[in-house]
Amino acid sequence: MRLYEPRTTIDALDRFLAEPGVAAAVTAHRVIPARPADRRPIPDWLDPRLRSALAKRGIDALYTHQSDAIEALRDGHDVAVVTPTASGKSLCYNLPVLQAVAEDPAARALYLFPTKALSQDQTAELRELSALADLELVAGVYDGDTPAPIRTTIRAAGQVVVTNPDMLHSAILPHHTKWFQLFEQLRFIVVDEAHSYRGVFGSHVANVLRRLQRICEHYGTDPRIICCSATVGNPRELAETLTGRTIHVIDRNGAPSGEKHIVVLDPPPIDQRLGIRPGPVGLSRRAALSFIRAGRQTIVFGKSRVAVELLLSSLREALREGRGPLERIRGYRGGYLPSERRAIESGLRTGDILAVVSTNALELGIDIGRLDAAILAGYPGTIAGTWQQMGRSGRRQEVSVAILVAGAGAVDQYVATHPEYLFDSSPEEARLDPENLHVLLAHVRAATFELPFAPGDRFGAEAVDELLAFLGEEAHVRQADDGRWYWASENFPASEINLRVGAPENVVIIDTGGPRPRVIGEVDLFSAPTLVHENAIYLHESRQYHVDRLDWDERKAYVRPIDVDHYTQAELAVTLKPLEIFAEEVLPGGARTHGEVMVSTLATIYKKLKLDTHENLGWGRIHLPETELQTTAWWLAVDPDHVIGWRREALDMALVGAGRALQTVASVLLMSDPRDLGLVTQVRSPHSERPVVYLYESVPGGVGLSPRLFERHAQLLAGAGDLIASCPCDSGCPACVGPRGETGGAAKTLAIDLLNVVRHGSHEAERRQPRVA
Amino acid sequence: MTAELARPAPTLPPMPNETELRLRRLERLRGLDSRLRTAAELIPPVRAPARAAPVEGRAERLAAAIGGRVLRTDEGPVVAVEQRTWLPFDPAPLASLPYPIEPGRPLLLLDTETTGLGTGAGTMAFLVAVGVWIDHELLVTQLWLPEQAAEAAFLSALAGLIPPDAWLVTYNGRTFDWPLLTTRYRLARRSPPAIAGHLDLLPVARQLFRHRLPDARLASVESGIAGVRRPEDLPGALIPGRYFEWLRSGYATCLRDVLDHNHQDVVSLGQLLVVIAERLATPAGRTRAHPEDLASLGRAYRRRGRPEEALGCLDAALALPDPERSANAGSFDRGRAWLDQASLFAATGRSQEAIEAWQQAAGCGGRNAVRAWIALAKHHEHRARDVPQALQAAEQAATLVARGRAFGRFDPWAERDLCRRLRRLRRRGLAATAAQRMRRPPVAGPSGHPTVQH
Repeated sequence: MRLYEPRTTIDALDRFLAEPGVAAAVTAHRVIPARPADRRPIPDWLDPRLRSALAKRGIDALYTHQSDAIEALRDGHDVAVVTPTASGKSLCYNLPVLQAVAEDPAARALYLFPTKALSQDQTAELRELSALADLELVAGVYDGDTPAPIRTTIRAAGQVVVTNPDMLHSAILPHHTKWFQLFEQLRFIVVDEAHSYRGVFGSHVANVLRRLQRICEHYGTDPRIICCSATVGNPRELAETLTGRTIHVIDRNGAPSGEKHIVVLDPPPIDQRLGIRPGPVGLSRRAALSFIRAGRQTIVFGKSRVAVELLLSSLREALREGRGPLERIRGYRGGYLPSERRAIESGLRTGDILAVVSTNALELGIDIGRLDAAILAGYPGTIAGTWQQMGRSGRRQEVSVAILVAGAGAVDQYVATHPEYLFDSSPEEARLDPENLHVLLAHVRAATFELPFAPGDRFGAEAVDELLAFLGEEAHVRQADDGRWYWASENFPASEINLRVGAPENVVIIDTGGPRPRVIGEVDLFSAPTLVHENAIYLHESRQYHVDRLDWDERKAYVRPIDVDHYTQAELAVTLKPLEIFAEEVLPGGARTHGEVMVSTLATIYKKLKLDTHENLGWGRIHLPETELQTTAWWLAVDPDHVIGWRREALDMALVGAGRALQTVASVLLMSDPRDLGLVTQVRSPHSERPVVYLYESVPGGVGLSPRLFERHAQLLAGAGDLIASCPCDSGCPACVGPRGETGGAAKTLAIDLLNVVRHGSHEAERRQPRVA
Repeated sequence: MTAELARPAPTLPPMPNETELRLRRLERLRGLDSRLRTAAELIPPVRAPARAAPVEGRAERLAAAIGGRVLRTDEGPVVAVEQRTWLPFDPAPLASLPYPIEPGRPLLLLDTETTGLGTGAGTMAFLVAVGVWIDHELLVTQLWLPEQAAEAAFLSALAGLIPPDAWLVTYNGRTFDWPLLTTRYRLARRSPPAIAGHLDLLPVARQLFRHRLPDARLASVESGIAGVRRPEDLPGALIPGRYFEWLRSGYATCLRDVLDHNHQDVVSLGQLLVVIAERLATPAGRTRAHPEDLASLGRAYRRRGRPEEALGCLDAALALPDPERSANAGSFDRGRAWLDQASLFAATGRSQEAIEAWQQAAGCGGRNAVRAWIALAKHHEHRARDVPQALQAAEQAATLVARGRAFGRFDPWAERDLCRRLRRLRRRGLAATAAQRMRRPPVAGPSGHPTVQH
């Protein structure tokens, strides 16, 4: 039998599943049937030049979502188009924009993309379309890389200005008077990849869009907004929160798709009892090889840069042994040069490149054509992200395959053992909270700089007089004789905001090892005590650095490269104090609360751990001030009357175990990174004198995760109980209540009992009922 | 679990948003959020009053404190201060300079004081000084914005001072003052005042005078060039703070220094223009000019494609004695001036004069001499086709480079150049001698070697 033989995708899949050991790992195999295209004729009102451009591209009809979108926009609605990857979304905004320019060359549009690469891609596509239509169009990318003379041209004459939210925030809005030609004629604002505007970034971007709309109003324009998003659970809420408008949601996908097989694999544990599992790389590699050997175009997603390089080299190694097409396999991740990336993208489109191993740098809407197989080495962390990566495979006619190989982590295991969660529940909701006080205040400052506020003026839904009065007391703004609020400071407020991080302050990491000191990275202030304390080993791009000095006041960490066999891990003493209760409900065995808390963290000691065995090699003290984080939290208090007779240690174990399970389920439920939620347990809370489990948001002020936890409390508790009960380990593993060594033998039972106490008032109540695994 | 997940979520109790709660949270933020207390903002000692004083009263108080008058318009009050300074000036010679200025137009000196250094929409110009010549006097009108709310009146009043055929003269106004004012008009949704042209003296001063000044700030230029002294000047960095202080406290005394500073800026601008016109734009003035200033002006002419005037400046400069050695006098790079003159001669086909100038430069020593000998070598090799002469010149240069090296002054460019040049010239010299010996006509050079190399 020849090792390299062209086969159909389905044939390659069957062979892979028949390999020894693979069948046992399959936890789900679903087939999504083929769907024909749903088309509408091109509307009559479309400019003949555009019609002919479409004809030149071989488009004689529009998909329903495209047609719906352009009609709704023509009717004056603001629109959100929510369809999967590669369904022709860009036509939904390019057609109306070009139509407007065809009708009136003075018309302008502003495109926002989250990344520079996308801006370049989409501008090229727009130019191509306008060239096909013989339509004169000045479209240009305005970002940090744009040369100065071109900037002037784009400001004065750019009919379509393509930029990113950061640039809009720091360069365009504060200087809007230099952009008056754009704002006076602005007809469309395009917000593509809207699903990426969640969390802190989304909260900031929503406020940037508020500022943008204020400026438009000043220049007397009321542009239509077009949001495009990959599938999320709450497209309307996302688009409406982001833009502050009433949005016409279009989610009927008219693009055709071929049959698609989705397989979830859970590599069998190495040690069932202790719950030790292999990583996702090995099985992913085997899966990828099956398709590459069959000559099918394949994409493999790794979760980190390191994972990508590992997968890439092991795939190439395997191909070298079998004399396979190893040059046709490429890596793709952040850190590659843009030209290199462009070459890989076009190689994928033409088929010259057979396989690519990528981080989620490719997750966003970069056009690489459609591939035969997508292999996800590890759960991407969110359902929406999973569907996006899986969406990279999918032919219009033929069968395609997507395989998810679960990793050893808690969230991965949850998804692998509950695959129905992936298929049946709606994708996560994208959360953002433009009302986050920290974020809001920063943008009210920036907005005042841009344009004075009149009394009663709204910023978003609410009037901001109160916030302005607060800022006025701090002498940043002042209320003038006409009652309006003016910026009254020498500072440039936009420069104080970084849209992509929650905390405004960072610690800069400076490598002093080279001939000249250079900045290699930064960490946010809250993580600094654990990552770059003195004598810490800091890892950057898989190189080790020793932190020689941390200048806390200057926010600088001085490091030098080092090669040692250990890493460091800091221990944190975390104290949490509730400040404000927003909502509370009494439960049979306790209470659930949503409120504001103050989390103080103090890095106490660090341990030196051997790289391969994690053996403890010694420790040292950390001398750093306490950092304080004011944020929102959800917490669960247990009624002390219901745990009378529990030993203190048992209660502690139960709280920690239940807390870890709750944290896992919470991050699954809320489409959030597990690090977005911190966990604190208190056997006897100084505040309420009860045992409490807190899940707090790690961003100052929060981004709206904790109110959702409060809202979905029942699911959260049930999910946590179920997670622990259905975990195949004996008595605790990293995938449920935590490793056995840390929580002791009885943690699983104790945690379940505790959760039952809270839910039903007694742990016996639930036990008598038969449980469904 | 799955069944429970699919169950619709109960509605969320609305996040409380009552004023009281929000204020409590804000109050806590104050203590925590260091972003709200950057060092620059710690100054204001007084808490702002709930509402500022009425703008009319403000304007009157300001006018009284700084000796101005209140101009009342439909849009609100503006405070104006007028002062005359004796400053005789004949702008006509400026027309000959290689800079954009039409002396026939009304020249309008302009300088602003602002609430910050950026030109973003939140930086306001609160004081603009406009200077025009009336006979032999410079009339400076300073317009004050008595309160942020009165900007419309301020902008109208300023527009009234700028006639459409005005030629603006500023210091760094091309990138700062004028764009900032343009921003203010755009923000008010008006057109900025039309002007006929704009001469920014910052690049001019940098070009002409920087060689003998520590930097090109107006303060350095005015003291170094026009002899202006400001014993009690308010540092520019403190100006925005003074204005905010006035806005918050209503006491205008802190603004007197700002008034004087701004007034002196415009007067200095006028004096600088006078110095340039008198000393650099007239033949008589040039006899009293600093030779290096003249040489710099010559280079400016040359860049503008006016070689004859460039030569004129260099001639005038070279005719002057070296400036006396003192701390602030600056020096004259005579060798460089000869080199510039030579290359202008060469470019206009005056070979003999060029050779003489190069020889002069070669006599000045230092790097200029090296350059001059190399230029001579090029000339002899490629134009005069005199290889032995060229070789001699190149060897002169090499000797100088070697001597410099011995004193620790390295000239890598010249070393590289001479290395190639000498090798080629020697080879060509040998070829020529050999050819002569063979009684054959001389050849251009060994085959495969580029014959013309500069």
